[in-house]
Amino acid sequence: MINVSFWNIFFTVLNLLILFVAFRIFFFKPIAKIIAKRQEEADEVYAKATEKEDEAGELVKQYEAKLAEAESEKKQIIAEARKSADGQYQKIVADAKEDAKSIHDTAIAEANHEKSQIIASAKKEIADIVVDATTKVVGSKTGADIDSKLFDEFLGKAGE
Amino acid sequence: MSLAEKLVEELNCETVFTIHLGGLKIPVMESVVVTWIVMAVLILLAIFLTTGLKTQNISKKQAFAELIYEKLTQVVGATLGEEGKTYTTYLVTILLYIGLSNIIGLFGFKSPTKDVNVTAALALMSIILVEAAGIYQRGFKKWLHSFVEPVPIVTPFNILDVFTRPLSLCMRLFGNVLGAFVIMELLKIVVPPVIPAVFSLYFDLFDGLLQAYVFVFLTSLYLKEAIE
Repeated sequence: MINVSFWNIFFTVLNLLILFVAFRIFFFKPIAKIIAKRQEEADEVYAKATEKEDEAGELVKQYEAKLAEAESEKKQIIAEARKSADGQYQKIVADAKEDAKSIHDTAIAEANHEKSQIIASAKKEIADIVVDATTKVVGSKTGADIDSKLFDEFLGKAGE
Repeated sequence: MSLAEKLVEELNCETVFTIHLGGLKIPVMESVVVTWIVMAVLILLAIFLTTGLKTQNISKKQAFAELIYEKLTQVVGATLGEEGKTYTTYLVTILLYIGLSNIIGLFGFKSPTKDVNVTAALALMSIILVEAAGIYQRGFKKWLHSFVEPVPIVTPFNILDVFTRPLSLCMRLFGNVLGAFVIMELLKIVVPPVIPAVFSLYFDLFDGLLQAYVFVFLTSLYLKEAIE
């Protein structure tokens, strides 16, 4: 109990050292190793998740950019279509106007032509009628030429 | 057998066998043999707990092993601090050894810690570790200088500390275990049935584990002081 024995102390120290080494090998090392390994795995998973998140964010950005691009393209197309439609409209209207004008002009020209023709034929007929009438009235053929001249003069004056 | 004889018989540490090494006679005491048993139990338990470790879907056994590891490291590490992390494994080992040695009396063995040689060896190792750690962490000069701190007049006491600390560690553990044992033996004789069982909870179980903690706590305190 109280008697100090060198060998006892020696053995105890030896035992404790052996126990310490054994515990390091069989208890602390494996558990510390497995905990470190688990930590490593968790870190890895975390890193992967972060990476995926970043990727997803980038994809979202890409899609947003694409959408914006499509939107602007749409606007451009619509604007172009509107522009071309407007041009066509203007052209059609101008054409129509031109057509209408030419038709109108032709019609006027024709009408004028017809009018002058009618007037001319009317003049001739009236002259004939007057000549006839005068011939009948006067009853002489000799004075017919003179009378016709007189008549022309008369008409020319009347026409003015 | 009278009470005194019985007590003395229980207290004496018998020589179990003697090793003859050349002309040298090496006695192997009871406490050493029981220490072997304690060691065997601890090591087998450690091997059992640490087989088939996995990182995921861990078994209950592994969860228990990790719990013990974490808790003990935490308890010891709390006093040691960051710089003393290296010494945690030794202190945890000592804690487990003293703890099991103190309560192994419950299983009919003689506690090794009831032998003053065992506690002396423990204290010796503790003080060697403390001083070695001091020299290693601070360098020899600074370690020597720590004896004249905070004022040179305390130098004798500081030197005395090197001897009183292990002595107090050794005697505290030994005295507690011995005292608890004597009280329990007396209780068993004076009030034989049920009552000793209740007291046994305190003296054998609680006090045993408490003394193991106190020993490790003080050692880690000295260690922290030495390496700071």
